[in-house]
Amino acid sequence: MAGTVIGEGLTIEGDISGDEEIVIHGNLRGRLTTSDAVTVGGTAVVGADITGASLSVAGQVTGDVTASERVDIQAGGRLVGDIKAARFTIADGASFKGNVDMEV
Amino acid sequence: MTEASVIGAGTVVSGHVRGQGSLEILGRVEGDVSVTGNVVIGPEGRVRGNVSGAQLSISGQVQGDLRGTLAVLLEPGARVAGDISAPRVGIAPGALARGHVQTDGEPVPTAARAPNVAVRVQAPIARPVPLPARVVPTPAAPPVRVVAPTPAAPPARVIAPTPAAPPARVIAPTPAPPPVRVVAPTPAAPPARVIAPTPAPPPVRVAPPPVAPPAPARSEQKAPLPPPPKLAPPKPEAPRAAAAPPQTEFTPVRPIKPEARRPPPPVVPVISKGTKAKKKKSHD
Repeated sequence: MAGTVIGEGLTIEGDISGDEEIVIHGNLRGRLTTSDAVTVGGTAVVGADITGASLSVAGQVTGDVTASERVDIQAGGRLVGDIKAARFTIADGASFKGNVDMEV
Repeated sequence: MTEASVIGAGTVVSGHVRGQGSLEILGRVEGDVSVTGNVVIGPEGRVRGNVSGAQLSISGQVQGDLRGTLAVLLEPGARVAGDISAPRVGIAPGALARGHVQTDGEPVPTAARAPNVAVRVQAPIARPVPLPARVVPTPAAPPVRVVAPTPAAPPARVIAPTPAAPPARVIAPTPAPPPVRVVAPTPAAPPARVIAPTPAPPPVRVAPPPVAPPAPARSEQKAPLPPPPKLAPPKPEAPRAAAAPPQTEFTPVRPIKPEARRPPPPVVPVISKGTKAKKKKSHD
């Protein structure tokens, strides 16, 4: 189970930092930093810069993303911001706007 | 129903957490927590901020007020510093609580700890004041010391310690040099007196000694003058100075003697500073 889960009805205004997996189904405004995976669920709305090992986006994300491993935008997902990651995939049906840097 | 939310043991949230549903805090939260569901703070959970929810179950640490619409339960091991309000409040053995507890569910006005904080703040402020005071005194002392060594032995000592002593010393050193100047006018004691006027500076010095504080400044100015005093004070004068009060004798001696050239009378009249300058010019 994920170390941290932000439920659908929950809103966090501020910074989240840690060393475990983080799953977001609610709202987050601020900054998100972890050394593990980050999952943004289909109901999530995130306005934050995200730093983590990997990022999977099924909801809405606005902010720059830095991942040491990979970034995946799922079908239905929406991401606006610059991405810096070794691997980056955009599924059919996803939307994305921003710069990509895969030179990590 | 909404999904349960969890803040893991390795997660730190800096900011406010609010919304619907229940929340379990196993990590740290630096900010207020406000949810509609139940809140569980685990044994390792720490919250700095106010927590509100339906039923609060606390096993960790909270610095802030707890408000439950249904109940607040402090489990063994809980540590709470803040006010507690809820229709039902339970504090289990082994739980620590410090603050106001109210069980009627009404919000509690919180302002008990403000005064303590203020007192602590004031303490540090007081310290800076003493420092300036210390600094001020130190500078004054050094100048006095410096002055004494630099100028010729006679002038410096005269000014600082006591008016009477100085004249005696000045006379002693001078004996040797006076003959040189004396040679021109006359070898006898009188010439020495004539020279005396040149030392004009010494009288000035004598005057200052009575005033203790100004000593340092004057001493510096006088320092350059030292040569004249040596030449001026002849041996014959020494006895005179000793006999009469030092200050009085010096002042009169300078101006008057140059013109007279012959042995001065026991008591010498006082002459203003301007007169000295005039006399010097005439000698040159």
